[in-house]
Amino acid sequence: MANTIRITATDGTPVAFVDEIIGSGTMKDVYFSPDKSYVVAFFKQKQDGNSKDRLENITGSYKDKIFNQPGGEYWQDLYCWPDKIVEYNGKLGLICPTYQKNFFFAKGSKNDDFLGIKGKEKEGKWFSSAKNQNTFLAPEERGDWFKYFQICIRISRAVRRLHAAGLAHSDLSYKNVLVDPTTGRASIIDIDGLVVPGKYPPDVLGTPDFIAPEVIATLHLAANDPSRKLPCIATDRHALSVMVYMYLLYRHPLRGGKVYDLDSRKDEELSMGSQALFIEHPTNTINRVKLKELQPSQLPQSDPEKIPYTVCGPYLKKLFDRSLIDSLHNPAIRPTAGEWEEALLKTVDLMQPCSNPSCWHKWFVFDNTTKPRCPFCKTEYKGVLPLINLYSSRRAGSFTPDDYRLMVYNNQYLYPWHVNRNISPNEKLTADQKKPVGYFVFHQNKWLLVNQRLHGMEDNTEKKAIPIGQAVELTEGRQILLSKEEGGRLAIIQLVQG
Amino acid sequence: MRRLPVYLLLDTSGSMMGEAIEAVKNGMQELVASLRKDPYALETAYLSVITFDTSAKQIIPLTELAAFQTPDIKASGATALGDALSLLAQKIETEVTKSSPEVKGDWKPLIFIMTDGGPTDNWEKGLKELQTKKTGEIVACAAGPSAKTEVLKKISGTVVELATADSKSISAFFKWISSSVSQAGINLEKTGADLSGPSELPPPPPEVNLVV
Repeated sequence: MANTIRITATDGTPVAFVDEIIGSGTMKDVYFSPDKSYVVAFFKQKQDGNSKDRLENITGSYKDKIFNQPGGEYWQDLYCWPDKIVEYNGKLGLICPTYQKNFFFAKGSKNDDFLGIKGKEKEGKWFSSAKNQNTFLAPEERGDWFKYFQICIRISRAVRRLHAAGLAHSDLSYKNVLVDPTTGRASIIDIDGLVVPGKYPPDVLGTPDFIAPEVIATLHLAANDPSRKLPCIATDRHALSVMVYMYLLYRHPLRGGKVYDLDSRKDEELSMGSQALFIEHPTNTINRVKLKELQPSQLPQSDPEKIPYTVCGPYLKKLFDRSLIDSLHNPAIRPTAGEWEEALLKTVDLMQPCSNPSCWHKWFVFDNTTKPRCPFCKTEYKGVLPLINLYSSRRAGSFTPDDYRLMVYNNQYLYPWHVNRNISPNEKLTADQKKPVGYFVFHQNKWLLVNQRLHGMEDNTEKKAIPIGQAVELTEGRQILLSKEEGGRLAIIQLVQG
Repeated sequence: MRRLPVYLLLDTSGSMMGEAIEAVKNGMQELVASLRKDPYALETAYLSVITFDTSAKQIIPLTELAAFQTPDIKASGATALGDALSLLAQKIETEVTKSSPEVKGDWKPLIFIMTDGGPTDNWEKGLKELQTKKTGEIVACAAGPSAKTEVLKKISGTVVELATADSKSISAFFKWISSSVSQAGINLEKTGADLSGPSELPPPPPEVNLVV
């Protein structure tokens, strides 16, 4: 049995750890507390005054800025944020909460866990690679497509909050984000490298696959050269767009077939740096994926011809176009984390369950056609599919479209953020706003919206109130006023005959 | 997809008999088990084993990690290191995909050599053949006091020395290979200067002495 060592953190509180390394990375050695509720991670190398000052701010004022605010507890789940600093035997260490249980594999890999990964951390790389998904992971670990949207929403939200506090993560990658596709949760880890513009420079360049093109393209310059580009909020935005693409499509957006140099390393530098080009660029086709260079285990996900990025729906297509085409080499105009969060949320409202029980994506985004079908398993939707177009009023009596649609499926709920333009589904929701206000049901061959909690709901087509507990049938063109409050929305029904 | 080829060149001469050869077998098993838990290595790393005693044999051709089965090896005979280097050169030629203007080739192979004695054949000839091929990092391990570090230093820029060829230090060396391959899987694509330092290999474990 290893010894338990008891020390005092710099804030004066007691800390204990079992003197046995449980994990070791390039920078730190990690030890458990006796009750395993937290870990102590000691830096292998001596930290200079600036790094120490940064860690003090990360565990102090930056942490307060995010957590000690109204609603601050919301963020506990989205970050693994260091709590305290310790010094022991001349080494600096950080106290971090232990990762939540759902971030460790419960089943692991196929065939009774033939890889032996049960109990290991769910590092994002397992889930963002087609080969790992198809060949190795146990089906119970893979989740469905909806969960990957939830994961991306949580990551975007966590990055948005960091950026709002003026902080850049600087090394966002699937290595530094734990994800759980069984519940749709995600948590950002390795927060000790936060970059503050003008105050704390980055100490890493990032992780390959996620380093922004301008950082790679200026690597050869001296560190103090003004043209040298280093990790910052704009490079975090690039990393975020790559991550969303990879979690939803299981391939890298810039890894295509174009060979820029016969030396693999130089080729890598060019294809991820100055020459980086989106593999699905609509007009420049030189970097298209070459099917013959793919392994069978990477299919079908790695073939953009089979599964193009447009399967992610109109809102995300627009953002991918902006991030991977327009701003790939123009960091100043990259979409923000908040824009990703919003587009992902709106896309979730366009999702439909696939009617094929063996489809592993289980969900797809409505493709705005009159014959909707799942792009993954090609199963067509059968029956009438109601679609709700949401409008709101900026001038009394006149409603204009919000560019916001809600796809209906059986037993789907209507939430306050559908009903009122001033409510967004994010960390600011009150407990009451998280509860549904109505639901949709397919009953006796009719699609109905049942009012559960909306006071001013009105059928504008027939000019009559829809009291709580009553339902309204969804018919083509029907207008339903969901709320009479400021920001209240009007729903206009469209029916698609699948 | 670019593969990361990893070649293990293992000395199976008579002097390795007993604890040392068992430790090598065990080390290989642990190496594969730990790389299989690494999603980066699992995606890209391919492993081959070349053994050398009186002559060299490729006992496992370049194989995907998930399909790799640890071979049974026995110790006997001399130490044909030169033959092993020639065979390695041939295998790199035939097994590693070269880049062309049309095709993305594999990463440059990582090579780990482990020996406990001096070569008994013309190692310079083998080395010359190997030098005509594109290789990545070559790491040589001198296991025990009879290994010839001065020869290994001519083959490789990184020579690690095990004081004795016992199971503990051999196991430490294989652990080091494992972290080198894992890290290579991540670092590979890192280009040019790295802010954290020039070396691509992780620091060797305390049981291993790095010969510079």
